[in-house]
Amino acid sequence: MASSHASRTLGRILAMAGKEVLHIRRDLRTLYLALAMPVLLLVLFGFGISFDVDHLELAVVDQDRTAVSRELVRQVTASEEFVVAWEGTSPEQAVAELRRGRAVAVMVLPRGFSEDVARGGAQVQLLMDGADGNTATQALAKAQALVDVAGRKLAGAALPAPPLEVRVRTLFNPNGRSALFLVPGLAAYLLAIVAVLITALTVAREWERGSMEQLFATPVGRLEIVVGKLLPYLGIGLLQVLLVLTVGAWVFDVPVRGSLVALGLGALLFLVGMLGQGLLISVVTRNQVVATQVATMTSVLPSLLLSGFIFPIENLPLPLQVLSRLIPARYFVATLRGVLLRGNGLDVLWPQLVAMTLFAALMLTVATRRFQRRLD
Amino acid sequence: MSTAIEVEHLTRRFGAFTAVNDVSFTVGTGEIFGYLGANGAGKSTTIRMLCGLLKPTDGHARVAGHDVGHEPERVKERIGYMSQRFSLYLDLTVRANLEFFASAYGAHGRELEHRIGEMLERMQLTAIQDEVTGSLPGGMQQRVALASAVLHRPRIVFLDEPTAGVDPVQRRSFWALIRELAAGGTTVFVTTHYMDEAEYCARIGIMVDGRLVALDTPEGLKRTHAPGRVLEVRGPKLAPALDALRGEPGVLDVSRFGAGATVRVDPERLPGEALGHWLRARGVDPLEMEESAPTLDDVFLALTAGAQRGED
Repeated sequence: MASSHASRTLGRILAMAGKEVLHIRRDLRTLYLALAMPVLLLVLFGFGISFDVDHLELAVVDQDRTAVSRELVRQVTASEEFVVAWEGTSPEQAVAELRRGRAVAVMVLPRGFSEDVARGGAQVQLLMDGADGNTATQALAKAQALVDVAGRKLAGAALPAPPLEVRVRTLFNPNGRSALFLVPGLAAYLLAIVAVLITALTVAREWERGSMEQLFATPVGRLEIVVGKLLPYLGIGLLQVLLVLTVGAWVFDVPVRGSLVALGLGALLFLVGMLGQGLLISVVTRNQVVATQVATMTSVLPSLLLSGFIFPIENLPLPLQVLSRLIPARYFVATLRGVLLRGNGLDVLWPQLVAMTLFAALMLTVATRRFQRRLD
Repeated sequence: MSTAIEVEHLTRRFGAFTAVNDVSFTVGTGEIFGYLGANGAGKSTTIRMLCGLLKPTDGHARVAGHDVGHEPERVKERIGYMSQRFSLYLDLTVRANLEFFASAYGAHGRELEHRIGEMLERMQLTAIQDEVTGSLPGGMQQRVALASAVLHRPRIVFLDEPTAGVDPVQRRSFWALIRELAAGGTTVFVTTHYMDEAEYCARIGIMVDGRLVALDTPEGLKRTHAPGRVLEVRGPKLAPALDALRGEPGVLDVSRFGAGATVRVDPERLPGEALGHWLRARGVDPLEMEESAPTLDDVFLALTAGAQRGED
């Protein structure tokens, strides 16, 4: 009796899921969108919208005009992280270049620079364009490092080593490559879009067309409707994760250093939470247009802005930091970065997984409760 | 005759609005029961309560032996329901729709194949089973919807305005299918606002503003609510004459249509010839007068007019 009950339930879930697969096959645009968009965006973000700083235009004010000063300039620009965009002797003209945006930094080598180098205690002035904060910070760090190294080489052994030397080294992403940082965030963002938006739309569509009423008149239970309807999209979501990670690994050399179990579990929990949220939205709105707007406001934008994908959470104002704790993408981005870049396993990442489990459980419970199989 | 549907004092309120007000009736097994009423009279609300989709505010209804308020799931297993906008999946093929609904009711494997094959044959849909449902004309979509509602061989089938927006030829062939179902022992509960269709029903309930104001066979309804003789009249200067006619003794009902009018009279008090004299005397000359039988339209008009007078 119990087993026949279970097999009937399974049969109805499979009927729902099978029907949903047919809908997806009938409307292949959805599938292409779901699978091609992540790859396209990943490539766009990875190559085009790079946060890496390279080939920075440098205005050089060489007032010393000696072999030593020219050697410093040569060394600083040797790696092509900086290129000389302007050269002259007037600091005012150089700053004008900065103002016009033709240079992002000005390096001033004052008169008597070579003597100062020989004596020790030489100074180089760096002027940065602070309008683009991200570039300025990175450019400053690079310039400091380059000038420091070049200075040491010029002074040779003449300069006594400082008693305490502080060396900053960037771990996990030593070259500061954006792709490594972006791929995990992008994966979370894209999954959030597809899971919430597509679920919200497909369920809202059944309300709009009246087929939900027809479904309610059959013996298919609400949990069976929910599970059957979400299963195919869970499959698509997992396929997306694989696709994004594969493209990340092939094109951008994003490694997978940590636990695959944590990765799979994280993806699954995140997807279930997002599907639940999409379901809740469509159950409440029952309308495709409103569902799209609500999904965008509550899931797509927060996953972009509050997940740590683009803006580090520590840099957000306190109220937004608190708000970000309610955004599951935050935990998924942390999980992905942990597994991919830091080589973490379940022992480190379990709090993230617990947070996502709580979110998923909450969403599914509320959605299923609100999803009454009656029309009133 | 055993009872398929038993409704007692069924009431449904939406806030301050009473959509269905204290309705009671029974429907026998294998009967075609028609439910008539204007839009918003409470037909769909009644049907949704009987299908377990809406909880009654008051009263009870037993469908196939189960209470719709307490055991809606038991009810759902035993009935078929075709909603107003026959809600098929228009992007799927005819066969895919039938397969989905068959499996939603628990059919699978060879049983499912057999039932679908049989149903396609019976509804004359075999040739178009692989067509996308949305590309079919309305009449065919309606047959697919009926097929998916009766695929699991329910004892009772509820059809909510199944023929809305379908041409007369298709409507006629659809009703042939309904009668075939009833002949096989299925109870059919059907709402419509086409009076000609209502003639096919064994019994008819008429809803006005949430109340069941009449319930009888088509003939019984006509005898009770549209007695007398119905005369169709045509001629010049008809409008002022009709206005004067309304108050005359023996005149039961006057309703205009197009250039003419239908006048229902009590033949005892105002024979046809007397009506002719009366109209000619008021300048309706030449007068065309033709006797016709009362229709359900007359019944419906009499009942809705009565309800409106009652409200005033």
